[in-house]
Amino acid sequence: MTITLTVNGVSYTRDAPENKTLLHFLREDLGLTGTKEGCGMGECGACTVFLNGRTVNSCCVLAVEADGAAIETIEGEAGPAGLSEIQKAFDRNHAVQCGFCTPGMILSVKELLKAVPKPTVEEIKEAIEGNFCRCTGYEQIVEAVLDVTGQGPKGRLDHV
Amino acid sequence: MVHEFQYRAPRSLSELLALMAEHGTSAKVLAGGTDLLPNIRMGIAKPAFVVDCKRLPDADRLVFSPAEGLRMGHGVTISAVLRDRTIREKFPLLAEAAHELASHQVRNRATVAGNVVNASPCSDMALPLLCLDAVAVLTSTSGERTVSFREFFTGPKATVMKPGEFLAEIRVPASSADRKGRYAKLKRVKGHDLGIVGVMLASSPEGLRVAVSSAAPTPVLVSGIGRGLDAEAVDALVQKAIKPIDDVRCTAEYRRYMVGAYIRRLLPEVSR
Amino acid sequence: MFDQVRPEDLAYVGKDSGRIDATEKLTGEALYVSDMTVPGMLYAAVKRSPHARARIKRIDTSKALALPGVRAVVTGAELDYRLGLYVVDKYILAKGEVRHYGEAVAAVAAETYAQARRAADAIAVEYEPLPPVLHHMEALKPDAPRVHPDLGSYDHIAAVFTPKPGTNIANHTRLRKGDTEKGFAESEWVVEREYSCPSVQHVPMETHVAIAKWARGDQVEIWTSAQSPFTVRNLFCHAFKLPHNNVRVHIPYVGGGFGGKAGIGVEPLAAVLSRAAGGRAVKFQATREEEFSLLPCRSALTYRIKTGVGADGKIRAQEMTMYWDSGAYADYAVNVTRASGYSAAGPYEIPNASIDAYTIYTNKPFGTAYRGFGHVEFHWGLERHMELVAKAIGMDPLEFRRRNALRPGSITLTGERITDHTGDVVKCMDAAAKAIGYGSLTAEEKERERKTGRRIGKGVAALHKAPAMPSFTATAVIIKMNEDGSVTVNLALTDYGQGTYTSIRQIVAERLGFPLEKVKVSFECDTDKDPYDWQTVASKGLLLSGNAAILAAEDLLKNAYEVAAQVLRANVRDLAHDGKRIYLRHNPAESVDFARIAVGYAYPNGNGIGGPIIGVGRYVAQGLSNLDKATGQGNPALDWTYGAHGIVAEVDPETGEYEVLKIASVFDVGKAINPQIVRGQSIGGMVQGLGTAVCEGYIYDEKGILLNPSFTDNKIPTAKDIPAVIESAVVETPQIDGPYGARGVGEHSMISVAAALGNAIQEATGAEIVHMPLRFEDVWRALRDKTPIDNWITKSPLGSCRSAPELRNRKKDG
Repeated sequence: MTITLTVNGVSYTRDAPENKTLLHFLREDLGLTGTKEGCGMGECGACTVFLNGRTVNSCCVLAVEADGAAIETIEGEAGPAGLSEIQKAFDRNHAVQCGFCTPGMILSVKELLKAVPKPTVEEIKEAIEGNFCRCTGYEQIVEAVLDVTGQGPKGRLDHV
Repeated sequence: MVHEFQYRAPRSLSELLALMAEHGTSAKVLAGGTDLLPNIRMGIAKPAFVVDCKRLPDADRLVFSPAEGLRMGHGVTISAVLRDRTIREKFPLLAEAAHELASHQVRNRATVAGNVVNASPCSDMALPLLCLDAVAVLTSTSGERTVSFREFFTGPKATVMKPGEFLAEIRVPASSADRKGRYAKLKRVKGHDLGIVGVMLASSPEGLRVAVSSAAPTPVLVSGIGRGLDAEAVDALVQKAIKPIDDVRCTAEYRRYMVGAYIRRLLPEVSR
Repeated sequence: MFDQVRPEDLAYVGKDSGRIDATEKLTGEALYVSDMTVPGMLYAAVKRSPHARARIKRIDTSKALALPGVRAVVTGAELDYRLGLYVVDKYILAKGEVRHYGEAVAAVAAETYAQARRAADAIAVEYEPLPPVLHHMEALKPDAPRVHPDLGSYDHIAAVFTPKPGTNIANHTRLRKGDTEKGFAESEWVVEREYSCPSVQHVPMETHVAIAKWARGDQVEIWTSAQSPFTVRNLFCHAFKLPHNNVRVHIPYVGGGFGGKAGIGVEPLAAVLSRAAGGRAVKFQATREEEFSLLPCRSALTYRIKTGVGADGKIRAQEMTMYWDSGAYADYAVNVTRASGYSAAGPYEIPNASIDAYTIYTNKPFGTAYRGFGHVEFHWGLERHMELVAKAIGMDPLEFRRRNALRPGSITLTGERITDHTGDVVKCMDAAAKAIGYGSLTAEEKERERKTGRRIGKGVAALHKAPAMPSFTATAVIIKMNEDGSVTVNLALTDYGQGTYTSIRQIVAERLGFPLEKVKVSFECDTDKDPYDWQTVASKGLLLSGNAAILAAEDLLKNAYEVAAQVLRANVRDLAHDGKRIYLRHNPAESVDFARIAVGYAYPNGNGIGGPIIGVGRYVAQGLSNLDKATGQGNPALDWTYGAHGIVAEVDPETGEYEVLKIASVFDVGKAINPQIVRGQSIGGMVQGLGTAVCEGYIYDEKGILLNPSFTDNKIPTAKDIPAVIESAVVETPQIDGPYGARGVGEHSMISVAAALGNAIQEATGAEIVHMPLRFEDVWRALRDKTPIDNWITKSPLGSCRSAPELRNRKKDG
């Protein structure tokens, strides 16, 4: 089936097999491999993208369902001027380790900040609960979100 | 995905119903896709036709009027329920259950209708719909019928819906507005998880209601519980209605115990 | 390589510095093998066993071969290659017999993944199911089925490992120190208990994936999501009897490993398919479900400890018996057994000790390395045991730990003497205790208890670990100067998220005296281009590669100075440098820029000298020895990192539900090269440890079928699951042979979390739990003396899951 959709503001018209997920379409047909596959079951959030302004697990969306839709992926996050404020805060706070969950995590944070400019720790944790991270233990990610919203000091390693 | 199917996105209800009538059990309705697509991936579902219902007009209609109550189109997502002020104010139990359902991304996509049509014993949304006397509007080429959720679930993953039928709308009567209640869900982690057991207590004109998930082949409602009964007495009534099993998530014994524990925990809050 | 440098003289070491890989990962530009394609690449899928143990009677591949897009089908019958790190016991595809649920029996390469999957499903396998041996304690019985009847004929590293042919024992590690009989005779108290934990899955976010191209002339190129490029190459070449220079292994960005990608994984499978498909590249990526049972897990353990304690609260004797469930293959599990064996008593001095640690084959998915390498599992037992012994003798558990802790002058189980520079475990446990307000509840906590009806408990657990590695483990680092005087660092230690490269960059910049921006550590490892490194495991990377990096920096400077001495017509001794140039110390105006000598200096007339400047640093672990097979005596430890966790838990005694309110971790890291990276390791491991403690674990049915191979029923912690308060601290007792005094901490952060939680829950409620994880229901059962749930295969016939006291608190003469 032929579909037309915009991804990060660019319009694409492609043939998509009806059984292809949006995740695989983005990765295989458009070469946008920043969106990752962690489980294929909608559990881990590595494949999080914006679909018409809301985050979804792109492994649980068919590409053909996205016909006419506007998609945003991690590749659209940094602008010509460099990293976005969220990305910079992740960098400053060491909120990245292996990096495989990072693209989805950043988009979930972006979704949160669109609705809640100064989220509480609880709100942050809830917003990213659908994004598994096996490396960081989440704390530095929470700190990055507090940082980018002008709240809270950086986490500290104490010396005994 | 490996399994191949034909995708249809009808633009009208009649077109959808015609497709459903034509293809019967070989067609599956695609709503949020958060259950159907993983099931296709795992080979649990193998539909020849996937019928996307989200392009129907008014799919995500969500309106309340004192005359007709709350009407939720089949495309209303869990997130839409959470965002809706009327629901938060008049039907807080719907919002409370919606909040406990899966993760943010899933809630953005999954629909209330899809959650109940799947008829999982651990359905979150079934509990408030049972407590609020909601009905399902089922349509097919041969007409429309409404079924109370009290009769809707017939077994694990099984409902009264016939091949070719489509859950077009969920209605919650205006008389159910402002019902107070609380929901407790036992999970293995604090993050998103299926309910190991879920208990919702709600007030109603005829007395206390207790809805329970993951403790029987279907979500269970025990209604008409006399006011003033203590938690032990309420628990005794509920225990008669449930039939939990042992599985990888926990034992039947613990499920039974936790149903009672949650009744003891929530009852004072609901009676207040 | 610790030089007494004052902290204020350090420019980069000990300071925060951004991660060098952050931008690529934050933008989605970082390429992982799962993102990669190679021209002409095929996709692979495997056919897997539905049985735990069965004879393969017949495999019919004809239907699969006839399907569209199929380019190759292979079965075990055609492959006679065995793999194994220490005991060579595993075929690439099962041959004759399947030994665990989910084992691969055949594989397909096709033009698309869907075609490969369909073809794999179309392969018909006829099995004769055989009775499996599932529990490792059952597998010890004389009449138990043999998982490997031919164990006696397998190649193995005989200097280190001891398989027992005719049994299911893949290795027996034995250690004897002092005289336990005498020690028990001197004891006032004897306490004996048994502890256990199930197999768990690593859950790297990127599942195992490899692309292999077996080209004509047996030239093999592999791109893989793995931790150790040279080990992949070495084991691959051994299996296929190929010269090492025929095989090239690339490792780009890796989406997590945690030990699960330490050795060789899916590379041989992709390679044999490529060979069968005429040399077209083949990609195999495990699905999340395959990750759970095609690929290895962490071994289950049953740990029995018998401790004799004197009236003074000092341990006099300890008998330790470990039963490790290896699953169907030995892989790293035999070495987990060895390393856990010689560390089995934790950071405590035991004058009279005996250890018998067994690796036991069963018909289950096999065990491998996992962050902590056995120490998470046995510290669960050990640190619960220390708690229970202390309670039995009426002593505060923290005081009991302190009294028995290793200190300078103590002798370890293997006979090593602890020095002032080994690290300070008492400081760690005291700091962890202080951080959680150990020993009492604050007024606020008491008020909270009163309001909620919940009980608050505080627990501390200590830990130690040394790298488990060959005594002669080696690595090398090469630093190449670029035309502009900047440098590029090459090493085959991989950074799959730990941040080691960022720390190595700081070490190199520090030693060179260059600005950080002038130092690049190159990602993507390549065995054709990078110098050798054994493996990225064991928390040894920073120490060994950090030292090699210092040596390489010194070598680079030496080489640069030699050229500069000629250019400046000066003695090398009279030269100094800054980040830009080399100059005369007595006349700094006389100088030559690094950029001018970087690739060869040219005199005005065009004559050249020098040539490209590189620095080579080679480092091999020093003074380590194999352990005596009869007594376990020897020197196995590169370094010991000590640590402790403190946990405040709040428990609902009615339901068993609980919450971790606070966790504090303290490790003696010698020197925190990059504090934020140390903190990242500290917190990341702690949360992974909480997952293990709270809910993770393999659940099997009675036939050995894995019941929870997905995130649906194998939950891992989410952001909502982390404690509200997390504190992370370090002690810095310099490691004399560590780079700037540093030692590793990657695994340690995970080690004693479960035990600290168990101790806190016991403190809160009295629940004596000896099996982890501590699911709510387990706590509830323990509080009611109910029979524990028995769906973990680790349940011991001896009743290891029982929370009812089996304790023999035997007072002498009492």
